[in-house]
Amino acid sequence: MATLEIKNLSRLFGNTCAVDDLSLTIGDGELVCLLGPSGSGKSTVLRMIGGFEEPTAGAILIDGQDVTRVPPERRPTGMVFQSHALWTHMNVFANVAFGLKLRRLPKDEIRRRVNGSLATVGLEGYGERKTSQLSGGQQQRVALARSLVLEPKILLLDEPFASLDQHLRERLREEVREIQRRVGITMIFVTHGQDEALAIADRIAVMRDGRLEQLSRPDRLYRQPQTEFVAGFVGQMNLLQGAIRSNVMSVAGIDLPVALADGPATLALRPEDIALEKRGDDGGADVMRVTDFGTHLSIEVRTRCRQRLKIMAPPGTGWSAGMRATLSARKFSVYRDGKLCFMPQPCDVRPAAAA
Amino acid sequence: MSRAEATRQDTKGRRPIGLLLVAVPVFLVLSLIVWPVALSVFDTLTVETPSGVTLSLDAYRFFFSDSFSLRNLWMTVQVAAICTALLLAISLPIALYLRFSTSRLTGYIQALALFPLFVPSILLAYALIRTLGPNGTVDILLSAVGLPKLASPYLTIWGPIIGLVWDNLPLTLLIVLAGLGNVSRASIDAARDVGANRVQLLRYIILPRIRSTLLVAASFVILGLFSAFTLPYLLGPAVPEMMGPFMRRTIIDVDDPLQARTQAVVTFLICAAFAYFYVRSIARTRREQSS
Amino acid sequence: MSMPALRRAGPASLGLSRLRANGAGITIAALLSLFILTPLVNVAIWAFTEIWRYPAVIPQKFGFRFWGDVLSRGDVHLAMTTSLSLAAIVTALSALICLPASYAFARMDFPGRNLFFMSFLTVYAFPKFGLYITIATIFLGLGLIGNFWGVVLIQLVSTLMFMVWIPVSAFQNVDRRQEEAARDAGASPLRVFWSITLPQVLPAISAAVLLTFVNTFYETEVAWLIGAPEVRTVPLLMVRFINSELVVQYGAVLSLLLWVPSFVLLMLVRRFLGAQALGRALGA
Repeated sequence: MATLEIKNLSRLFGNTCAVDDLSLTIGDGELVCLLGPSGSGKSTVLRMIGGFEEPTAGAILIDGQDVTRVPPERRPTGMVFQSHALWTHMNVFANVAFGLKLRRLPKDEIRRRVNGSLATVGLEGYGERKTSQLSGGQQQRVALARSLVLEPKILLLDEPFASLDQHLRERLREEVREIQRRVGITMIFVTHGQDEALAIADRIAVMRDGRLEQLSRPDRLYRQPQTEFVAGFVGQMNLLQGAIRSNVMSVAGIDLPVALADGPATLALRPEDIALEKRGDDGGADVMRVTDFGTHLSIEVRTRCRQRLKIMAPPGTGWSAGMRATLSARKFSVYRDGKLCFMPQPCDVRPAAAA
Repeated sequence: MSRAEATRQDTKGRRPIGLLLVAVPVFLVLSLIVWPVALSVFDTLTVETPSGVTLSLDAYRFFFSDSFSLRNLWMTVQVAAICTALLLAISLPIALYLRFSTSRLTGYIQALALFPLFVPSILLAYALIRTLGPNGTVDILLSAVGLPKLASPYLTIWGPIIGLVWDNLPLTLLIVLAGLGNVSRASIDAARDVGANRVQLLRYIILPRIRSTLLVAASFVILGLFSAFTLPYLLGPAVPEMMGPFMRRTIIDVDDPLQARTQAVVTFLICAAFAYFYVRSIARTRREQSS
Repeated sequence: MSMPALRRAGPASLGLSRLRANGAGITIAALLSLFILTPLVNVAIWAFTEIWRYPAVIPQKFGFRFWGDVLSRGDVHLAMTTSLSLAAIVTALSALICLPASYAFARMDFPGRNLFFMSFLTVYAFPKFGLYITIATIFLGLGLIGNFWGVVLIQLVSTLMFMVWIPVSAFQNVDRRQEEAARDAGASPLRVFWSITLPQVLPAISAAVLLTFVNTFYETEVAWLIGAPEVRTVPLLMVRFINSELVVQYGAVLSLLLWVPSFVLLMLVRRFLGAQALGRALGA
């Protein structure tokens, strides 16, 4: 349980900049996900928090104490590695007990705490097993128990479930979330899967090219992406290049009132925020493909200016390829130079007149 | 004709050719390794009497009661033990550094440590005599700074030790380095994460994982030392001498092939366990390579 | 990288931490340089020295006088000829008998294949010099001691390692599907071997040939045990220089003369093989 403060953190590898002037603060008992495509620097940030990489510049503070130059063995952090990194020459019990042994705790206390920790991750009675006799999910649980048993102030997880299959990943993710609530530990979770981040995080920090793009609650991240990158990276989004002229942005056959100066801009529309209306004549957009997912229809349309959009429609609305439709936006946002610059409040949104 | 039949016919047709192609090298191995060793073991264990060939341990009884032979054997064991310890103690830190450091120095260090591979041992012997021998570089440098001469290791037990360590460093290092390749960086990081310092990392995480590698490296060194000849002969003392020079003197100068063979078989026996570990590891590497 | 962030870190703290991390590396590099390079540098200096009286740190007179002396010595010429022809004959014979065998081991199926292949491991299983002794006792009876061809025969055995093991793994590494694709495209088996297989194994085979040549050239122990005194190779000449030559420079010049070509050849091998593969070939 602790707060973490990162100030202007940077890390250079040779001439490439893996992390660039990153600052963020994480509160006590919070679960924060670092989300980003591979190479965005999220693992480097995590490894710097754990002490495995030395920052080129900046500072890391845990509970107000500067730990920037403290080696990992003396940091109050625990790390769960992507490759689980179990010590194959030790059995499960020895793996979990190793850190306690180094701290010279009495034997029965070690036994008690290891068993408690194994119970937390649902592996009672597995102590005598060899690590090679465990399944992938069990190995990752041991790695989790190994870190938890030392009661670190901050638990760091580096894409811990990346090598597991979808089903197992979802179950372990729920368990981690549940353990985190029960123990009340501060957690930082690195992932490149947005579902994972949206499912478990209190807040999500989206990273790109070593920079922090946005740090928000999951719902805010989805509904109010602050940059064009976040808009495109989290959830499905139609991003359409267009231009604003006299306070009207017209793109893809939709005209929207936008109180901005003239110039190029990008319109962002979620598939579920576009309304479709059937239309008999030649105008509007062509429906190219309709996929029925049961809960909803996913419709791909092509506008007259050859732009493709994905649209989500309620099931049973009778759309099929070859039909024509008029589009209107229920909600939208506009980005200029990659940054959010216009987003009407939900009550402001009026379906614009069809072209 | 089905495909399977075709392949079978194909291989059947090739069989004699394959055998033919490997015949000469296999014959060489049989006639110049297996046969001489077997013959030596047989001849040193038997004597010819008028009633035929009978078992006799006389040759070995002589070896193990001759104080001269025993001193030579003992010196070889000593040199082997010291060299093995030194080589492991030197190559382990270097290998650890090469494996886990990202510094630019690693390239230089690796090139330097592998350099002795490119220096024939006869040239090394000459260079070491000029460096460590009487009035050599070490003496010159000591007198230049006003220090008294040290006792020269040349023609003592330390002469061959220094030479053999120099000569065997690259291959020992490569063996240890290959073993360290199996210790993942993440497992080291994980141990540091739970609080292990450098010494504890070495003791609880790294050494247990490379124990068998170290055994193989030691076996390799020991096998090499029991057959070392050039360096002990040129750098070492005349009495006692290591098994290599001793065997040569016995067969050429003393003209006693039976004792020379006895000495050879004794070295084989002492090295048998190490040879087993070493050969087993080579066989394993080959199998992994080819699969 | 944003410049303000870098400036805040300051050059001093950066340099210091890097230096601390590298302390171990600098120590290792320094000690290793001292241990490995001192003897070699020493010999190199001696080779270009005309007068160096103890206890001067730097020779009194440098020069090439002894190079001319060494190069015009009859025993040097004789030893060079002997060593070169010995190495050439052993390498040629070894290639002739081992390369087809390695192809057979890698690609053909015949009874006893694994057993025969593993029989080569016996070369590693005995301390070499003891092995030579047991062979020498047999050669004594056959009159092969002091005989050029006796030396060739034993050296042939010690080259089996390079000439069988290295090419076998090279042949095994050639993707069978590439050969099959060539057959599919209409190439004859011989043509496939020539155009597809051989180019891929050629680096490894060159490495094996070079290693064999260099190792045979510098081989001292067999030459000494089986060849001496009739077969006079360069290493044996070197032994004589060490034991009984009063002029230090002869040995130094000969060392340098011998070492440079071997270094060049082995660097070539290194280009073909890589450190670990080279180590494996030499028995590591």
